[in-house]
Amino acid sequence: MNPSRLLIAFACLAFLASCAPLQPGPAPVLACPKQSPAELSAYQNALGPLSDSDTLLCALAVLRQAQDSPLNRTALGSRLYLHLAERETDPRQREHYAAAGVKSAEAAFALGAKNDGAVHYYLAANLGLLVREQVTLAVQNLGRLAQEMRLAVALSPGLDEGGPLRLLGALYLKAPAWPDGMGDLDQALALLERAANEYPRHPINHLFYAQALWSEGDETHQAQARTAFSLGQKLLAEGDWGYSNAAWAKEFAVFAEEMGMEEAQSHLEPRSRANSRRFVSCAYCG
Amino acid sequence: MLKRLLTIAALLASCLTFAASQPEMIVVCYPGGSVNAADANAAMSSMLRVVERIGHWRENSFDSLFTTKTDECRKQMAEKNPKFAITSLGLFLALRDQNRLIPLAQPQLKGRTSEIYRVMVEKGQFQNLEELKGKTLGGTVLEEQAFIAKIVFAGNLDPASFFVLKPSNQAIRTLRSLAKGELDAVMLNQQQFDGLASLHLEKPLAVVFTSEEIPLLGVVADAAATTEAERGRFTKALAGMCDDPEGKKLCELFGIDAFAAADKSVFEPFIKRWTEER
Repeated sequence: MNPSRLLIAFACLAFLASCAPLQPGPAPVLACPKQSPAELSAYQNALGPLSDSDTLLCALAVLRQAQDSPLNRTALGSRLYLHLAERETDPRQREHYAAAGVKSAEAAFALGAKNDGAVHYYLAANLGLLVREQVTLAVQNLGRLAQEMRLAVALSPGLDEGGPLRLLGALYLKAPAWPDGMGDLDQALALLERAANEYPRHPINHLFYAQALWSEGDETHQAQARTAFSLGQKLLAEGDWGYSNAAWAKEFAVFAEEMGMEEAQSHLEPRSRANSRRFVSCAYCG
Repeated sequence: MLKRLLTIAALLASCLTFAASQPEMIVVCYPGGSVNAADANAAMSSMLRVVERIGHWRENSFDSLFTTKTDECRKQMAEKNPKFAITSLGLFLALRDQNRLIPLAQPQLKGRTSEIYRVMVEKGQFQNLEELKGKTLGGTVLEEQAFIAKIVFAGNLDPASFFVLKPSNQAIRTLRSLAKGELDAVMLNQQQFDGLASLHLEKPLAVVFTSEEIPLLGVVADAAATTEAERGRFTKALAGMCDDPEGKKLCELFGIDAFAAADKSVFEPFIKRWTEER
């Protein structure tokens, strides 16, 4: 065990000590248009980052009321909860949505969706959000998180513009490294390079690849990291990413600051700049 | 070695009774570590808040300053002159005179308060250390070369001239490089050596060098800036930490059996060796 593991665990304990148990926020009162599962099925692919939250909540209400619908054997519910969670600014409500997304995916599995890569992917994405907010869960669920991501990579690597590659790569990048954990920069670089090259339209693919390159700590890789970062930033600025835009822009800004901060210290000890990781902040999926 | 050192930081804070309005700074040095300083300080802050609550200290009585950079550590130790710090054994030895440092507490892991460094090769490739002269040696522990030379090799070998050193911050990468023949040997600390079994390596490894038992170091104190009573109180609190209900959770989580008061006589041979080899 090294300090990275300790820091995670400390943060976890701090959370436990300072926070009351998670309580879901009050259920919103919505005036949802009457719609059938079949109607929802017809436009489900249009639901995403550009949809307003009420539309997503209404769609979820349809799913809840139609327990026997084939839609409940898909990743739709988990995906919608993820979109809600990602745009939510209240941490507790965000965790509530992410937890619901995990449960929705588990319910889909129970109905026979175990070979559906999308269900594994959105389960992992929601679980990643939970992990991000509650480090205790990170420690407890790291194995499961990795397993779901690996299944998603095996079954549907191209889903959501390389989302499974992006998520698993981020996990390898940000988890504690061997011998403390499953963190593995080599694996991270391979997955994130593939995500950036094969699915180049997604800004976060380039951001995460930039972070992995930066972790190498040498000037050559850092120059490549800046290039990847700039490309991702350009894609973010030029695209319409809806509600995802703010969260992604913030993540770009944080990493830009990190690069600047570390560059300022580079004259001291270049090798030590490497491996600047955050632990499992892989919520950038949709 | 800095295993469990941040744990000790929590314990450290629980034993202090600073009444000053300014937070008491705890400098945490982790040379070559793989932890982002901003994240580390944030986590340390969370940890210290827990400690303050447990110990009934005013919130924000303590603060931490974390760095993975050796030069930055030296600078902060010089500027802040912290009463207590968490350093590697190498940094403790290097900064001992400047900051009047004395070892206070050691973590006890699996019944041990010391560790062994090893040089590993692919089985059959090299039979002993002498055969590695001029060959490549990798490892994360090579960050502190003076420590490796004076303490791990006990001054019997200058690694910088004997080997072609290939420091890395990725332990697993060094082992992959060894398997691919890109490295001839790898130096592992105890934790890494113990973790080898989990890797299921295709080619077996062999040990060609084993260091003597080198003490784990946790918290150090500035002997001039702290009183004997402060240090004693602190050490006593550490010793009882793993019996405390909250502290027990920490200890179990990190696999720490207990915290032992540092026996100065254990460190004296290493201090002597460090000084003599200058």
